[in-house]
Amino acid sequence: MSSLDTPTPDHADASSKLIQGSLFGEADAIGYGLGPIYDEMVTGQGRLRPHWQTFMGTLGPLDPEIMAERWEEARRLLHQNGVTYNIYGDPQGMERPWPLDMIPLLIPSHEWRAIESGLVQRAMLLNAVLADLYGPQTLIRDGRLPPAVICADPGFRREVHGVRVPGDMFLHFYAVDLARAPDGRWWVLSDRTQAPSGSGYALENRAVMAKVLPDSFRHCHVERLAPFFNAFKDTLRALAPRRENPRIVLLTPGPYNETYFEHVYLARHLGITLVEGADLTVRDRQVFLKTLSGLEPVDVILRRVDDDFCDPLQLRAESTLGVPGLVQAVRAGTVVVANALGSGLMESMSFKSFLPTLCRHLLGEELRLPCVASWWCGADSERSYVLDHLDGLVIKPAFPSRSFEPIFGADLSTAERRELVEKIRRRPWDRVGQERLSLSTAPVWQGGRLQPRPLVLRVFLCATADGRYAVMPGGLTRVSTEPGKLVVSMQRGGGSKDTWVLAARRIESSTPAVRTTSFGELRAAEFRSAATDLPSRVADGLFWLGRYAERSEGAVRLLRGAYTRLTDGNMPGASDELRPLLRLMAWIGMIPWDLAKMGGIGSGRALRTALQTSVFDAEHPNSLRSNVIRLHRTAYSVRDRLSLDLWRVISSVERQSVQPRGRVDAASMLLRLDDVMTSLAAMAGLEQESMTRSHGWRFLDFGRRAERAIHIVSVMRGVRIAETERMAEIEQTAALEVLLELGESFMTYRERHLAALQLAPVLELLLVDDSNPRALAFQLQAMERHLRALPRSASPGHDDPTDAALRIIHAAMSSLRVETVGHAATLATVIDQLASSLPEVSNLLAHAYFSHAFARPA
Amino acid sequence: MRYRCRHTTRYDYGEDVPASHHIVHLTAREHPLQRCRRNLLTVEPGGNVVRADQLDYFGNPITYLAVQEPHRHLVITTESEMEVFPSPPIDAESTPAWERLRDVVRTGMPVPNDGGEILQYAFDSTLVPTGPELAAYAAPSFTPELPVALGAIDLMRRIHRDFTFDPHATTVATPLRQVLANRRGVCQDFAHVIVGALRSLGLPARYVSGYLRTLPPPGRPRLIGADMSHAWGSVWCGSDQWLDLCPTNGRVTDEDFITVAWGRDYDDVSPVRGVIHGGAGHGLSVEVDVEPLDD
Repeated sequence: MSSLDTPTPDHADASSKLIQGSLFGEADAIGYGLGPIYDEMVTGQGRLRPHWQTFMGTLGPLDPEIMAERWEEARRLLHQNGVTYNIYGDPQGMERPWPLDMIPLLIPSHEWRAIESGLVQRAMLLNAVLADLYGPQTLIRDGRLPPAVICADPGFRREVHGVRVPGDMFLHFYAVDLARAPDGRWWVLSDRTQAPSGSGYALENRAVMAKVLPDSFRHCHVERLAPFFNAFKDTLRALAPRRENPRIVLLTPGPYNETYFEHVYLARHLGITLVEGADLTVRDRQVFLKTLSGLEPVDVILRRVDDDFCDPLQLRAESTLGVPGLVQAVRAGTVVVANALGSGLMESMSFKSFLPTLCRHLLGEELRLPCVASWWCGADSERSYVLDHLDGLVIKPAFPSRSFEPIFGADLSTAERRELVEKIRRRPWDRVGQERLSLSTAPVWQGGRLQPRPLVLRVFLCATADGRYAVMPGGLTRVSTEPGKLVVSMQRGGGSKDTWVLAARRIESSTPAVRTTSFGELRAAEFRSAATDLPSRVADGLFWLGRYAERSEGAVRLLRGAYTRLTDGNMPGASDELRPLLRLMAWIGMIPWDLAKMGGIGSGRALRTALQTSVFDAEHPNSLRSNVIRLHRTAYSVRDRLSLDLWRVISSVERQSVQPRGRVDAASMLLRLDDVMTSLAAMAGLEQESMTRSHGWRFLDFGRRAERAIHIVSVMRGVRIAETERMAEIEQTAALEVLLELGESFMTYRERHLAALQLAPVLELLLVDDSNPRALAFQLQAMERHLRALPRSASPGHDDPTDAALRIIHAAMSSLRVETVGHAATLATVIDQLASSLPEVSNLLAHAYFSHAFARPA
Repeated sequence: MRYRCRHTTRYDYGEDVPASHHIVHLTAREHPLQRCRRNLLTVEPGGNVVRADQLDYFGNPITYLAVQEPHRHLVITTESEMEVFPSPPIDAESTPAWERLRDVVRTGMPVPNDGGEILQYAFDSTLVPTGPELAAYAAPSFTPELPVALGAIDLMRRIHRDFTFDPHATTVATPLRQVLANRRGVCQDFAHVIVGALRSLGLPARYVSGYLRTLPPPGRPRLIGADMSHAWGSVWCGSDQWLDLCPTNGRVTDEDFITVAWGRDYDDVSPVRGVIHGGAGHGLSVEVDVEPLDD
């Protein structure tokens, strides 16, 4: 019902608000400072630029409270969606929340068209240069590029020279950093040509802003981002050498990479499998994904791994992020890597000054978007210019791999200057001089008001099936947090903005703002990709996640048992029960044996210290903290497979298990342990209630069951269950009491038996009763079900490890009978046998499914 | 001179390796003074081997080998018959003054229509970073206006005199800086020194890997580096002329030297480079045998 270009009443209202609040037109009136540089929002005279009027109108008065509410909402959404990024070299740097400013950058339609056509031309140009340099090299033979631009550049990958890529397309996904000069023109700062990051964050920024500022978003006719990603998906599919059901993967360096969040997000958004190098292998010069059910061919690799690291066989040898033999598979044409290996070359500053001439030669056009003027010292005349104009220039590395901090010529002392000149003379090709630039500013909501901050805009392009390029209408705007700071980098703590390209016409409302799958929702659809695409590495991670979660739970129960009895001496049987508990803790290595022998009597201080160590000490291998650290680390390695809620619960377990400052008395320790237990229980609940019964879930649950089974047996041995008949009655009762408590079966027992605790019924409940989810029999049945449901490993000839594991489980099941566990003599044998056979099941599982040996140099 | 060359590389792994990938430079390249009459590369175990022959960026034949069955040892052997022609004696005196060549390199176009064939050997490479120390070492050999070949031969003789052959002093991972400081190493190190010193003066220089005849002709001493892969350097002397110099033996190369490959340094042309999946430690042994064939 909406007609094009007709303002809705809402819209008219918004405009009138604007007229009323015309004070927005005066920068001074809102305390918005102006410099001698270009500001995106206001003109040099302090008037609001026309394309900002609708937006400022819909935003309403800049009330700090409303803005704070919006900001809070945005923060909540970002948190909910798990948007984070990692900072290198900062111990606190993992998982920083993503900083997003509330005011988008607005770009009017006509201005965007100019940027767009300039960028498409630039993409075509860089692609043509790559095709020549990795092919016939006529540009060099004809003297249009000096040979040194490739000879001296470590980014030129000789190993992939001469490799044919489909359609001569090297750049499939390309990003450009733009800055606006004081005259209002957009300039290219740098090119990202191998594995550009930021598009996923741009998408997420958009999802948040569309929710936080829905009115503004609607009235401003903002161009949608979704069609761009759909086009990119089509491009990737068209690249596949196999037309039928091609498998496309996104290759990530892993969870410790700066932008891992984005890798997960994009893989989900594009509907492709996220893999690490170790998940892939090359056989017969073809790339395969190692999955539970065997090797599955891979057709297209969208990489977020840099050129050097992609293949330890032919590129950088010490790299473990890549796939040995990948270059050979690419050469054989069985797989396509996007961007093509070697395309990082175009990131070198040395090329920039040649581009205008190359553009004329290769495309027959003038270069539309100017590049910040730079002079490469590897060319004679350019070098003399740099040496003559050092004061006005910034000296930068010509090649990204020779990185050093930019040097501002004007800031140098005489000695430093001499040193720099000497360096330039000695290795001229390593450096470029670049014009100093002033960035434009955009309003940032900071300190309760709008303040101008320098910005850099990253814009993304993807190749289209017809061999041209599409530009994402929007981008990632990054702002520095300080007024005069010209370095804009997420690694150094800048912020980000959504970028709104304002359409000339109203956007069809049938196109959603973003495809509605936000990260959280995508997470909920975990294991959506077929079970065959569960990489073995991930299965392994999930298995251990289950084991560590259960192990942590076991530790908490023991600690809670001990602390309860320490704090409440009046509790009946407290000191009697403390004794078996401490012995158990010593048995599984949580506290020293001598403390256990004293049974908690007269050892107050030493015991408290030991117990506290077994809770918090990360150096103590069997402490709760150590187990939680393992749990958290394992969860991190399979983060893309966990729902957001699950991940959040695991994060809180991690936080709750950290030693607080100051003294912790037994009572507050108990509260803390209760918190950890609640989180662990929430984790187990989510596993049961929110995960699809996929193979991934089976591995997670198998890990839990196996660990619980092993724990039950170990507890039985720890309290010397087979010897209880020889114990004094009071001692026996205490041991049984502890067993029931640790086995969370006290209530059940009381429901069934009113008499005093007796050995046989307790053991029946904890070992044989398959209706008790804490009983050993219950774990064995679950393990059996999982094993039967998992695909068999495809290695014929050998004894199938899954069969061997099943045999062990069956033997264990048949040994658990009321008759056997009721007798002290047979019980001891059964328990000892289980103690040695159950851990073997875990080894067999590893052998069957996880033996995805890592590659290393020969 | 005709030779039969045999090069055997043997890996022994502690446990079964499910698969391994190798890139080998084991087939000798041809050039005007060298013909390859016959060449046979074999791999053991050979049950499931993928093989692909290619030329690398420097024009050397390379072979990709993937052994795709569990194996506990791997033997790669090449047997070839090579013919090496006597090189016409170089007129060192008449080569261009070294400064001419350096300046040609600086302007970026050594010979017309050169896509970097020559120039690419003038820059830093992974294992050979140029620097003032190397330039200072080379300087005494290159007096003003000296023909480049004379300077390079003098440099080679100085390296031969100043450096001690010592297989225990270095490994493949020893940085060139350290070799230069300690003055000890093996033929690969000395080849890197001469190549790095020449490049530090701005002259293109190649790293050459190859073999020496195992037994010397009667009445001549056995050369250092026979029985193994050998390496030396080569300096550009203008137009298409290169002069190969062996600092290990202090000799301009002749019919006793068989070229396998050339590149910027060892990393570009290492005989066998591989990646294995799994497996524990490994032992490596290499045997080279070069036998003259009587016509």
